[in-house]
Amino acid sequence: MNEYVVTINEKKKNVLVINENTVKTNGSEIEVELSKVNNYLYLLKIDNKTYEITSQKLAGEKYRFGIDGHSFETAVRTKLKENANEVIKNKTAEHHVTKIISPMPGLVLKIFKNVGETIKENEPIVLLEAMKMENEIRSPKNGIVGEIFLKRGSSVEKDAVILTIE
Amino acid sequence: MIKRILIANRGEIAVRIIKACREMGIASIAVYSDDDKQSLHVRHADEAYYLGPSPASESYLSIPKIIDLALKTNADAIHPGYGFLSEKAEFIKAVEDSGIIFIGPSSESVEKMGGKTSARKLMNKHNVPIVPGTIESVSTVPEAVKIAEEIGYPVMIKAAAGGGGKGMRKVNASSELESAFHLASNEALKSFGNQEIYIEKFIEDPKHIEVQIIADKHGNYAHLFERECSVQRRHQKVVEEAPSVSVDHEIREKLTTSALNAAKACGYYNAGTVEFLLDKKKNVYFLEMNTRLQVEHPVTELITGIDIVKEQIRIAAGEKLSFRQEDIRINGHAIECRIYAEDVENNFSPSIGQILHHRLPSGPGIRIDRGIDVLSKVSVYYDPMLSKVIAYGKNRDESIQRMKLALGAYQIVGVITNIHAFRWVLSRESFLNGSFDINFIEKEFMPLLPGKWKEYDAAEYENAVSILAALLKNKESEFKSETPCFSKSNKWIEKRYE
Repeated sequence: MNEYVVTINEKKKNVLVINENTVKTNGSEIEVELSKVNNYLYLLKIDNKTYEITSQKLAGEKYRFGIDGHSFETAVRTKLKENANEVIKNKTAEHHVTKIISPMPGLVLKIFKNVGETIKENEPIVLLEAMKMENEIRSPKNGIVGEIFLKRGSSVEKDAVILTIE
Repeated sequence: MIKRILIANRGEIAVRIIKACREMGIASIAVYSDDDKQSLHVRHADEAYYLGPSPASESYLSIPKIIDLALKTNADAIHPGYGFLSEKAEFIKAVEDSGIIFIGPSSESVEKMGGKTSARKLMNKHNVPIVPGTIESVSTVPEAVKIAEEIGYPVMIKAAAGGGGKGMRKVNASSELESAFHLASNEALKSFGNQEIYIEKFIEDPKHIEVQIIADKHGNYAHLFERECSVQRRHQKVVEEAPSVSVDHEIREKLTTSALNAAKACGYYNAGTVEFLLDKKKNVYFLEMNTRLQVEHPVTELITGIDIVKEQIRIAAGEKLSFRQEDIRINGHAIECRIYAEDVENNFSPSIGQILHHRLPSGPGIRIDRGIDVLSKVSVYYDPMLSKVIAYGKNRDESIQRMKLALGAYQIVGVITNIHAFRWVLSRESFLNGSFDINFIEKEFMPLLPGKWKEYDAAEYENAVSILAALLKNKESEFKSETPCFSKSNKWIEKRYE
């Protein structure tokens, strides 16, 4: 019996998996039946309704699900890990280190600052190219460039850390 | 006679053209870049040849490479699709000079419609209503001030050689004019190597309506009615339909007559589209002519029963139009949603990856034109459009309902798509009552980012998804907890054997 916390649309849902056919959520026990169609498609029967849900495992504890034209990006952790996660989150906030994350996949055209240089809020830090468009990423705060993880000309995935600002 | 067609394009439109070739018993020749080795157009074509590296400039935009391949493979004709080289007069000229048939208009017609001021001049002369403003370019600030006063603010300053929003400035009052004038002409010089600009009246919140025209090389012209394409993001259409809810019989007469005049003015043959703005007072203004097949041509095909691509091929071969204008009626309603690999939540930024799972919707009135299948790569090099879902119904309501069902059943895994956002569009009051204009997404959707547009009733789905997430995670951890049992260093195992 394991308890999980699912983060979905900025809400947290507790799901207790009692056995593979019984879960408890929103305070009630539910009969479920899960069948795997392929690595990316599942059938989930809840009471008398069967849902077709597409699933893609992303980095970490994240999944992207699709159901009836809706799309959900979720994180799922054990109750224990969720609690630990909250503690870590608070700690990083204390440290004042901000990670600059790539909002899209693309090519790094330019990094405007070197390690140790000061940067002002709203100053451009990185120039990315994706699908023929140039996109500037700007600093969310005043600070000093801590670490740079990418080089000019390298390609970058969505959500990859480009650099940190302290 | 055309027996072999080289398709100088990729993605869904290449596949669409290959299908027309198949139907007509014509051999289709596909070309591909490194990233497109496994793409759908390569799988569907009778023959496929390597063109060059993935960047379009070294493959799909290389005029010498494409002409060379067409000659080597004994192609009688080249179909350019849309985008890439389709509207480059230089390319069309090169095809004409090589003795190969170009499936599209003559390079002359394209040149006539290419320049903004020259097209405005030509249209004005041939009874096509243009946006009030100058026909010649404006070279000094005082001259610009005088003209702006005459037509009334707000006005637009535009590059004569322009396109794609570059060298374009809106001016609200005379105080802003001088700086806007210099900014626009500098930008025009930088982008197009030509600093000429012209001035036209700014049309407030118009609709984008366009007319499909088609003409043969024997002087027969016909139109296939209008399409409404006002749902746009970043000046790019995302939802198109035919006919338009905002066009009545009188406006339709005005639009189609103007479109035919425009086509005749440049001696046009083959399929083309004349774009118009429709303002709140139901005035019609010529915007530009697209001298090629359009992305949204299927909606017109569905309401008229004309296969535009096959018609294009027959016209290129010298045949007459296969129908007469009076035989064509609007029958029912069609709507198209362009499926893009993009993250609407993240300011529509493109999403790249590989298609891992792909299941198409089906059902009454559903047509999918697609360029992807399982294993297709979605790369940074090309337009992120994956496919088009087109729904046909006896009226607008029915086509919208069918579209909603189809989008719900369409499964794509591997990249983020915009499918979920259409639910919002298709349920929005201003979309349903037809009052939307080209600023619809900008005004009504963008303020709801991130996340607030997802107000739909999804509690049931959130619940189902949460349960699935927990069950999958549970399976994963069960699997992990089993693994240590096989490890020799596991003390528990050692103890067990003691």
